[in-house]
Amino acid sequence: MSTAISCSGLVKTFGPLRALDGLDLEIATGEVHGFLGPNGAGKTVTMRVLLGLLRANSGSVTLLGGDPWADAVDLHRRLAYVPGDTNLWPNLTGGEVIDILGDLRGGLDPHRRADLVERFDLDPRKKSRTYSKGNRQKVALVAALASDAELLILDEPTSGLDPLMEAVFQDCILAARDEGRTVMLSSHILAEVERLCDRVTIIRQGRTVQSGTLSELRHLTRTTISATTREPSDSLEHLAGVHDVRHSDGQITFDVDSDALDPVVRALAELGVHSLTSHPPTLEELFLRHYGDELADLDVAPPVDPGARSDEATRS
Amino acid sequence: MIAFAGTGRLVRLVVRRDRMRLSLWLVLLGVIIVSSAASLPPVYPDQADIDNYVELFGDNPALVAFAGPGYGFDDPNLGVILVNETQLWACVGVALMSIFLLTRHTRAEEDVERAEHIRSAPVGRHAPTAAAIVVVASANLALAVVCAAGFIALGYQVAGSLALAGSFVAVGWVFTGVTAVSAQLASSARGTLGLAAAVLGASFVLRAVGDIGDNALRWLSPIGWAQSVRAFAEEAWWALAACLVASIALLLVATWLTTHRDLGSGILPQRLGSPVASPGLRRPLGLAMRLQRGAVVGWLAGMFLTGVVYGSIGNDVEQMIEDNPTYADFLAQLEGASITDSFFTTSFTMLALLSGGFAISSALRLRAEEGAGRVEPLLAGSLSRTTWALSHLTITLVGTVLVVAAAGLGVGAAHAVTTGDAAQVPRLAGAALATVPGVLVLSAIAVLLFGWLPRAALATWAALGVAVVVGILGELLRLPDWSRSLSPFHHVPALPAEDVAWLPLALLLALAGAIAAAGLVGFSRRDLRTA
Repeated sequence: MSTAISCSGLVKTFGPLRALDGLDLEIATGEVHGFLGPNGAGKTVTMRVLLGLLRANSGSVTLLGGDPWADAVDLHRRLAYVPGDTNLWPNLTGGEVIDILGDLRGGLDPHRRADLVERFDLDPRKKSRTYSKGNRQKVALVAALASDAELLILDEPTSGLDPLMEAVFQDCILAARDEGRTVMLSSHILAEVERLCDRVTIIRQGRTVQSGTLSELRHLTRTTISATTREPSDSLEHLAGVHDVRHSDGQITFDVDSDALDPVVRALAELGVHSLTSHPPTLEELFLRHYGDELADLDVAPPVDPGARSDEATRS
Repeated sequence: MIAFAGTGRLVRLVVRRDRMRLSLWLVLLGVIIVSSAASLPPVYPDQADIDNYVELFGDNPALVAFAGPGYGFDDPNLGVILVNETQLWACVGVALMSIFLLTRHTRAEEDVERAEHIRSAPVGRHAPTAAAIVVVASANLALAVVCAAGFIALGYQVAGSLALAGSFVAVGWVFTGVTAVSAQLASSARGTLGLAAAVLGASFVLRAVGDIGDNALRWLSPIGWAQSVRAFAEEAWWALAACLVASIALLLVATWLTTHRDLGSGILPQRLGSPVASPGLRRPLGLAMRLQRGAVVGWLAGMFLTGVVYGSIGNDVEQMIEDNPTYADFLAQLEGASITDSFFTTSFTMLALLSGGFAISSALRLRAEEGAGRVEPLLAGSLSRTTWALSHLTITLVGTVLVVAAAGLGVGAAHAVTTGDAAQVPRLAGAALATVPGVLVLSAIAVLLFGWLPRAALATWAALGVAVVVGILGELLRLPDWSRSLSPFHHVPALPAEDVAWLPLALLLALAGAIAAAGLVGFSRRDLRTA
């Protein structure tokens, strides 16, 4: 499989601040790649380096086989970008902005443009200054999605969109993947990333902390098990690899390290199982584990059962 | 009174946010007005000089249009000259201050959705507007107090000084009210500025026509009311009361309108635009033209009118200098040239400095677009940095030529009318164009700073400041010769008083080109900086 984006050891400093501190990133052609990290982790800076808007201090970057700084103009014919905070010219209409941006990507397919404008429920005759944040975001999304770009770089593209528009967006991204386009998607909405992304990269303080498919990442962490048993289940608490035990209404819920799953399930079976549910860690749980120490510093308790709802929704 | 809850805290917020901006407006306007007042006594030391002034200025329609009706010219004193020289422009100045500041703290806050933070707090419906009005009205009052104190300290009569300063605050308050109403009608800050500025423009024109024809049209203009206070000419104080009543009425209307619209919307309907971009707009140059169109048109009109003012007095200059030789200090001292042509040479330098305002702000549009994050999506498309920058700079170049030419046309047209010699139009318009290379050097400096020190790009205005100081005040301040050569306009041939010299023009153009090119090199090598 060929590579659409490859960064290694990327460093970008702004004065004393090291915004990127040796970042590594591999995005294969044709995949939808989730790019996650807390605010200030360096997601937007990375994207700006990939677009040749910022020049990295050191490290190597390849984008669509070229150098994003030196070959910016040629490479940009093949990609479309949606910034996280879309600023439009206040006195131009949304439709005018879509065409201006679209023409810079080699023109838009008029049918697709009309279709997207309708699906996103956007009035292209209104001046940009009257648009809400969500509508400004739609303008940028239509301009990007109606193009023939082979690579889409999307920086938190759904912030400000309502759930209905969010669903339209997800359909568009899945369609783009089916067309063989590559998508780099930074997002805070983990359910969206779980639904759309083949692989994810999690970064923090300018460094990559984890990268892989969701199942690979899950393997590295814990599975959540809830059970009711005939015998008292207190003995489970002391098994190796069992964490965060909660009791309620005679039901026990706990997290298990993946490599301790086998002995724990055996011990559970000994107790006589009435009911049992287990689910793999949600992306939100993965995320919280990586930032858990930051949360602890901030004295914020992680949610008791994070992501269970979205997990069921996406797996049904 | 619950609708005004929190006004006091919001007043402090407005003052805190704008302490620099408010100080700048007040200091700038105060210094200009009081120093104009200070400059008059040496120029008109005795009654004969005052009588000469009145004789020259009394019945020139162009001067009446741009100075005022000349109340008290039948029995003139120095105060009457002070009114004629400062009142109209000070009124326009305070009106602009009120319009900009009030818009900034009312409608503009709604545009960026900051008003919602405020209104969601325990703050009354009218409190944000009331706070802005309190601050702007106080700023007007403070300016008037400073001016009155200055006039009196300079020895002008007390009653006249108070009446003149009172006319400033009266106009300021009326336009505070006008802007408060506009902010309710328009659906954006831009629309508010446009509406309020249109009212100001109409007020200016109505009183100009009324003053020239000595008819009732002047009573349609708040500036006309304020002038009718007849400062230094048997004051008629009721005129100020009329302004006060009008401003209170406007504020009541604004308050009523506030309760009849939603936050963020306007009373006037929002016009819809084109759902697709025209072919021209799809090219970078077309986009740049669209973005700068309004500014270019505004500058063209403004510079043409300013040119008309200069042109209209060209024919009187010789007489003026004969009557009062101190004027000669203001003119370029050129051997072998007529006084009229020397006056036009000086005028073209002034007009070129004003045009520098356009040239710099147009070139700084690059930085404004970058800072607002609007370049990023363009450069993320297949547009090179240089192409993008050149699209805007093309507008700067063409716009500068047009703006300077408009000023020259204004001078030429007015001079042609007063002398009956149509050949003056091309002669003077052509002479004005000689300053273009000097103006372009200023925009080139803007590009240089934009490319290498984007955060300091606004410092380009300091370059204009230097050119103003050494170019206009150099003679009066007796600055050393080398300092005057700092201004690009020092190297421009002194047309029409002297013959055209092509070499300095070519060198200035080359210099501007080289500086701008260096700036573009810097831009193509640096990081994009948003905000």
